Order: sequence, then C-alpha cells, then structure tokens
Amino acid sequence: MIVVNTEYIPGYRIVELRGLVQGNTVRAKHLGRDIAAGLKNLVGGELRGYTELLTESRREAMQRMIQQAEQLGANAIVNVRFSTSAVTQGAAEMYVYGTAVVVHPEQPPQTAQPVEPETPQA
Amino acid sequence: MVELLCTLATVVVLLVLGFSVGSWTEAHHFHSIALRHQRLQHMLVSDLPNFPYAVPSSMPPQMLVGEVVVASDYFKSFAASLRNLVGGRVQSYERMLERARQEATLRVLEQAHALGYNAVCNLRIESVDVGGNTAPGRMPMASVLAFGTAYVAQLPQSSPAPASAHDAS
Repeated sequence: MIVVNTEYIPGYRIVELRGLVQGNTVRAKHLGRDIAAGLKNLVGGELRGYTELLTESRREAMQRMIQQAEQLGANAIVNVRFSTSAVTQGAAEMYVYGTAVVVHPEQPPQTAQPVEPETPQA
Repeated sequence: MVELLCTLATVVVLLVLGFSVGSWTEAHHFHSIALRHQRLQHMLVSDLPNFPYAVPSSMPPQMLVGEVVVASDYFKSFAASLRNLVGGRVQSYERMLERARQEATLRVLEQAHALGYNAVCNLRIESVDVGGNTAPGRMPMASVLAFGTAYVAQLPQSSPAPASAHDAS
C-alpha cells in the first residue's frame, strides 16, 4: 500500500478511483499521564506521554484507513489529510482520510533486465 | 501568616526552578535542533505538492508523520499570565511553538533519511488536539503534527555523468 499526501505518485499511473477512505480513533488520556504532564509543566520540555498518545492514535487511525482501502481493492491512498477535534475535556479524536486508488507502475523499474549471457559449455 | 509565607516561598521556588531548568532545556533543545538541521542539510524539503526534481526510483514515495508535544514551564506560564494583563507579544510561547514545529519537522526528515529518501515534499505542519487540551484553563502546551511525502530527488547540477561515458578503451 502506497500512502502519500500528494495528488499523484510520480512513476505510477492512477487507473481507477475507489473512493474516499477514512479512519478515526478517540483516545482519552489517563491520570498517570496527566500527573506526569503536570510535573513536566513546571520545568518545561517534551511531554513524552502525550507524544506517545498522539503517535498511537495516529497509527491506529491510519491502520483503519488502510484496511478500508484494502477492502476496496485499492493499492494506494493519495491526498491524505489529518484532522483532530476535542470531543470532551480529556478525549480527542484523531481523524485521517484520503482517496483510495488503484495505481500501475508507468514502467517496470530497471531491475527487470534478464542479462544472462549464454556460457559456452565445455 | 506562616501559611501565606509558605505559599509565597513555594511560588518563588517554582519560579526559580521553572526559569533555570526551563531555560536550560530550551537552550539545549534549540542547540540539538540546529545540529540535526545541519546534518540533514542535503535534503530537499518543500511544501510543494508536485515532487520537485523527482527521479525514478525503486522505492515508491511514502508519507511520513512526526509529532511532538512540548510543555511550557512554570516561569513562562507565570510571565504569560502577567503579559495577559497588558496584552502584547508573548515571546516565551512563541519559542515554545517554534520548538515544537522544528522538532516535528525534524522527526519527519530523520525518518525519511533513515529510510533512504533524500527529499520531502508537501510538508504540512498542523497544531493538533491531544486529549482535549484546548479547553480554556488547561495546561499551556504546543502539540504539533507534521507530515509530508518522502521521495528520491536529484538536483540537476549535482547529477554525476554516467561512468560508462568516460570509457577510454
């Protein structure tokens, strides 16, 4: 599955459009992370717990989107966008969407070169 | 009376702690950002949607994502709340957002570099919501999501002549 946030993929031709695919996840942070974040807010720096939360939810949303694309028989997703929204205080949604397409390589890569000179048999 | 003094002392200690540790962390982070940018200088980064200088490659382009959440410190939050009385520019928060943006971008570039790509296009940098923290009165923090498409590029002037052309039999 090729996933890009551009409208096309260089070296590939879009032959079929399979429609919009999307994935979302709503994640709540837990108290431990809140306490750690509260302490970190005194001295500054990266909030690792929240970064992880973001990474996890983004991965899961993307996985769901890719699953949908697979079900539609697509082999690529183009023009992917992210969006988040606060559902309540303490939970946020991560939403990712894109267009599922079928792509074919324009030319087979140069790896396919059967160069096997015939060795004369002694 | 004693209680008031205790509260005041706590605030002063937190302010000093926030100022010293926060400033040090920030300086350290900016230094690390500069170093990493230097190491990734050869990469072609743009927010153009059209793959500048792309060359055919066996690796298909791939979207990469980097995210980071950076907290403010006690001193900065305090200074910002004072600033709120008179209005104007809040430089400490500007720096906090700058740190988060640079860090998220670098994470995208580092992933691209590790995978063997040398260019990233259509780079988008967004502020996102983590755990419903945009509600008023919550902790000040900068959460940034950066994403872009990594591909293989070659600048025209740096393209080496094919070795076979120099065959002097």
